[in-house]
Amino acid sequence: MTVDMPVSLLKNPELKFGAITFFAKQHKGDTCGSNGLPLTPNSIIIVGNAQLLKTIKSPFLCDFLDIIRGKHERTIVVSQYCGTPLAKIIDKHVLTHLQIKKIAYQALKGLSVLHKLDIVHRNLSNENILRQENGDIKLFNYGLYHMTNRGALVSFPVLEVLYTAPEVYLSGFDSGHVDKKVDIWSLGQRIRKILSLLQVNTSIFEKIAREHNCYEVYLNLPADLKELIELCLNIYPSKRLSCEELLDKLYFNEFRDIQEQKKMWEPFEVFSIQELYYWWQLAGGDVFQELKKQGLIRSSPPILSLPSLVLIEGTLLGQDRNPATLYDPRIVEMPLETLYQRFIHIPITAFYPLIHSKSDIISSSDPPPYDATGLPLVIKEKDPEYQFHRVILFRRLLHGYPFTKDLIRQEAEKDIPPLLRGDVWSALLNVPQGYERDYMRLDKYSHTTTDRQIEVDIPRCHQYNELLSSTQGHKKLKRILKAWVYKNSQYVYWQGLDSLTAPFLYLNFNDEAKAFACLSNFIPRYLHKFFLKDNTVVIEEYLAKFSQLISFHDPQLANHLHDINFDPKLFAIPWILTLFSHVFPLYKILHLWDKLLLCDASFPLHIGLSILTQLRDRLLTSGFNECILLFSDLPEVDIEKCVIASMQTYQSTPRSITSREHENEQFYKKNDLDIRGVTLEELKKESCPRISAADIINTVRKNPDKILLIDIRNTTLFHRSCVKGSVNIPFSSVSFNETVLDNLGTHSSLIKSKGDKVVAIIGDCETDLERFPNFLLQCNVSRVCVLHGDFNRFTSVIPTILTSGTTN
Amino acid sequence: MPEKKDFIYINEKHGIEYSLLIPYEESVEELAHILIIQFNLPIYIEKELTQHLRIFIEDRTNEYFEEISDQVVQKGKDHEIPIDDIVKNWEKLMREEIIEFGERRCASDEELFATAYHKLVHSPALETMLQLEHMYSKIVRQKTEEKNALIKKLSDSQSEEMNKAVDRLEQDMTESKINELVARHYESHSLLQGQLSSELDTLKEAQRREYREWVMQMLEQNQANSSLPTPSSPLMPVVPRNFQNTRANSRDQINSPLLEESFTIHLGSQLKQMHNIRILSADVMDLCSIHDDEQLSEPTPQLLQTALGLYSNDLSGLVLMTDNKIGSRLTQEFQEVCQQTTEFHFPHIEDQLNKISSIAQQHFKNPQNGSSRNSNSELLQTGDFYMTRHSNLAQVHVIFHMVTDDSIRGIDINSRHPVVLGLRHILKTACSNDITSLTIPLLLQYEMTEEMTINWCEKRAELVFKCIKGFMIEMASWGGSELKNLQFMLPQGISQAVFTSMTEMLPRIFKVCNPKILA
Repeated sequence: MTVDMPVSLLKNPELKFGAITFFAKQHKGDTCGSNGLPLTPNSIIIVGNAQLLKTIKSPFLCDFLDIIRGKHERTIVVSQYCGTPLAKIIDKHVLTHLQIKKIAYQALKGLSVLHKLDIVHRNLSNENILRQENGDIKLFNYGLYHMTNRGALVSFPVLEVLYTAPEVYLSGFDSGHVDKKVDIWSLGQRIRKILSLLQVNTSIFEKIAREHNCYEVYLNLPADLKELIELCLNIYPSKRLSCEELLDKLYFNEFRDIQEQKKMWEPFEVFSIQELYYWWQLAGGDVFQELKKQGLIRSSPPILSLPSLVLIEGTLLGQDRNPATLYDPRIVEMPLETLYQRFIHIPITAFYPLIHSKSDIISSSDPPPYDATGLPLVIKEKDPEYQFHRVILFRRLLHGYPFTKDLIRQEAEKDIPPLLRGDVWSALLNVPQGYERDYMRLDKYSHTTTDRQIEVDIPRCHQYNELLSSTQGHKKLKRILKAWVYKNSQYVYWQGLDSLTAPFLYLNFNDEAKAFACLSNFIPRYLHKFFLKDNTVVIEEYLAKFSQLISFHDPQLANHLHDINFDPKLFAIPWILTLFSHVFPLYKILHLWDKLLLCDASFPLHIGLSILTQLRDRLLTSGFNECILLFSDLPEVDIEKCVIASMQTYQSTPRSITSREHENEQFYKKNDLDIRGVTLEELKKESCPRISAADIINTVRKNPDKILLIDIRNTTLFHRSCVKGSVNIPFSSVSFNETVLDNLGTHSSLIKSKGDKVVAIIGDCETDLERFPNFLLQCNVSRVCVLHGDFNRFTSVIPTILTSGTTN
Repeated sequence: MPEKKDFIYINEKHGIEYSLLIPYEESVEELAHILIIQFNLPIYIEKELTQHLRIFIEDRTNEYFEEISDQVVQKGKDHEIPIDDIVKNWEKLMREEIIEFGERRCASDEELFATAYHKLVHSPALETMLQLEHMYSKIVRQKTEEKNALIKKLSDSQSEEMNKAVDRLEQDMTESKINELVARHYESHSLLQGQLSSELDTLKEAQRREYREWVMQMLEQNQANSSLPTPSSPLMPVVPRNFQNTRANSRDQINSPLLEESFTIHLGSQLKQMHNIRILSADVMDLCSIHDDEQLSEPTPQLLQTALGLYSNDLSGLVLMTDNKIGSRLTQEFQEVCQQTTEFHFPHIEDQLNKISSIAQQHFKNPQNGSSRNSNSELLQTGDFYMTRHSNLAQVHVIFHMVTDDSIRGIDINSRHPVVLGLRHILKTACSNDITSLTIPLLLQYEMTEEMTINWCEKRAELVFKCIKGFMIEMASWGGSELKNLQFMLPQGISQAVFTSMTEMLPRIFKVCNPKILA
């Protein structure tokens, strides 16, 4: 194994990319859309349209990689760029007829992929056909016409002057001609050009040949090639054949056999050009800087091109067209040296991680794994090498989904690589195979009563994000929401569902069905019954639980909020109904949900708690009005702290503390020892949460030092039988007049020095299970909870945790 | 885009009749399912129906395109379409939009100088450059003062002569003689004025030429040595020593404590954008006029900042209020400030204003522009604004001259007032031209007037704060550069009470950032 190996894996001649740039048209003056909102900038529409191109995979097309928006409507398109443009080759070499036929065939193959997606190339020329080392070709820059809404979003014409079909010129610039046949014309012209030939009666081809003094070459052409070109160069579009028809021609048979031996499955790629591009960016690659360095982005100082006069109508006067904004079709290749250097020491084994069978012997021969533990998540996400290892690993795991579900979960607990987050999330959400078909069958067109509300909400949903504010984004979001409403007739559309969908759509922009499937699995798991037409009971229960959780972890804060009458229902409803997706910007939601997806439906309560904890100092010194103001526009929240804090409380809180009646039983199965049958009225009265017998039993057995059990039954009963390690403070012996712990007598010191133990209060039907915990709460004792049911729950438990009360 | 055509899809086998538009842009599979639902058909026909639909749509689409495309070609062949016009249009389009076909254009003088200046100003030569500029400006100042002194002297002697003449009116002076004297005085006065002004202009022109040549030279040297230019002594002008210290009090004025307070705010409900906002009460001309400090030969540090930013993507703008005539007397004070020193980069202020004037006239006269304005009038309307560029002002590069009228003094103007709309255009222009610092009159005027009661000020400030906040939120989606620093200016001499009320109002309207606590 040589040291150079891995880099040579990266140094594949086809794994190279380049960029082009142009300006989108600026909106003139101050126009508004039909909904009264400002128009979406054209560059954003382009970004949205271009996403589709990322899904196109064909050996004869360059992979589309990225689209970047700069200031002032600058748009940069990054795509695979490898091989040599035909224009360069035909200058030096003469291609054989066979080679030409092959090029024609492959170009047609590429075009037919595009045409099936209703994409017209329009830019076909010998500059845009790249010949690879093995003689195959790839078409480049085929997306410009599509992403610019057929050229309407840019001010320059999308075409190659020499190769453009006559009807394009004849219909004028604004016509937005989308007939695919224009590509066929271009193809014909191209092939002709390759033959270095260059009319009207008999044949256009013949005429062009004569004009270029190449009539002899023309006459010597094999008949099939001649026919092909003639078929392409018919001036009547209707008589020009389509891609499919041309591909069916007999003279292509010789290629068909080699090409069409399709494998049953696509082979697994260790990594793709998309990932290479991603690593390149992390390793410091900057498309914008490269374009600048190579002179494609020239900027003249803005002070030299100011308008002189702006009228109240919005008319700008005296501003010349900045020559730097003209369309320059040059392509700039991106240098990859830095990336190669950065990855030079990565051993080849790192490309092929062993997942299922890894022996100690193999491990010991491996170099130590790249260590990024302990670094903040944001740093890890920016570390090219760390992301390299994560992406390589997750790719493999995702390839094996659903069989690797557990492994994916296990790895996701460490962190989720941003590049693959969409797929990892859908794996964590158990999205089943065949989700596309399910989605396709849903009606997203027919008019429903919620349409109006959806249409009002969408242009207000995370619009700072380019994808979500694009025309395509709006369209897709609407479809997903309509599909959800259609499928879940038992539920209604609540405002907030749009925000909830936004992260899924953002991550699966090109796979609506997957975004929908994620949403469909997400809601039952975390927001069961929240979208009922009457969801008051569910929400009230949830809020009551939230109050109790605050009391449990932060009695001081809970007491303060109680004193100033600041109830969670005043601020937390949008939090829970959208699981914070209405509160935070997308990049924060992603990190938050990364963890949420690994936890159960009680996790959002802990997130809420951690937000309050971050604002704790301000809340404690604020009155009701200040609190309302504070929450009306939530201050910046440190999301990493928030995630860590909520994980901590989530892990240290017995699950039954947050148990709810309206939880989805499917994800949280309950038995007799769990909490069941608590009415909302009861719940709202209780300031401290209940704990289930099951949780007490578990803790007593496994971590007896984590719990302080206080038995408040009378001494006689306690001595007859009690839980191991419990202390007896008979209810009747305590005076509740003052909120002083010392009133509890001898055991007060135990409570004072309890640390972070859970304080569970055990009583029976004769004891008052409200005053005692409330008293502790008012004394600012944390983690107070009450046994659900009474002492007798424990009697039937085997093996027993009871003892006869002589230990005290 | 040609219009879509309505077709009716008929499937006799399943009794479907459905109308759809060709070209059909949605998914065919989904359409099949909608039909299955609508016509209550069994799901197993899904494949068959999809296939049938697909063929129907493909055929219609082909027909549709063939029809329109062939028509166009046929028309072209039959010469029904004016081919020459089409060719001309295409040619024009390509020339104007595609760099390959566009005119080969060399960088203009302006651009060359801009590049050179920007490079040098970001090199060790900066100090020398600023000193040179400073010296030049001292000379101009001195000349100006000399000019003013000479004119004053003439005026004094003339008025003395006049007094004497008037005294002798009863004796040997007649009224006609006096008139003659007046005429003579006027003539010699304007002669002197003209002569001195033209001397001054010549001086400035010479300075400008000298300076620009020097900058280009420095750059060449720099490139030849491929090292940073050594600030070798340029044609350093000698400043005469007997330079009079006439403005000794100016210094106190600068250092007099201003009323000012700064805030950092954030905007946006989910993604929060930070901006700096400052409220201050001062004379607006302090932002423009360079206070000459006699004691030091060093320029003030603010100038350095302004010079560094001149050709950058962080320009600084100021909104001044004016009336509907371009370059009217209202801008006189400002024009004088501009003329205090030599403008090394841009045309002189009068030339800029003249050019704007002619652009406006051209626009209004052209009936094609079909505006509702009176085409004969070259006056602007309230809410219009024009822009001038400057390199010799203290803290700003770009001035927005906003047209206002007396309605601005009223108490009940609302967010639809033309001046407020004009402010929106200013923010938009700033956003799309990289002007990232902007100063706006918080009360929409810079002078104290008698209507300015506390109540009036509070109402006005609230309106401006709220509107600007709205515009800034809007700005985030315009895709230009963000406004980093926004200054709200209050008239000089505003009472402490009003100022406090404004600074208290701001955090109520804008969300002020939490102080960062370093843990």
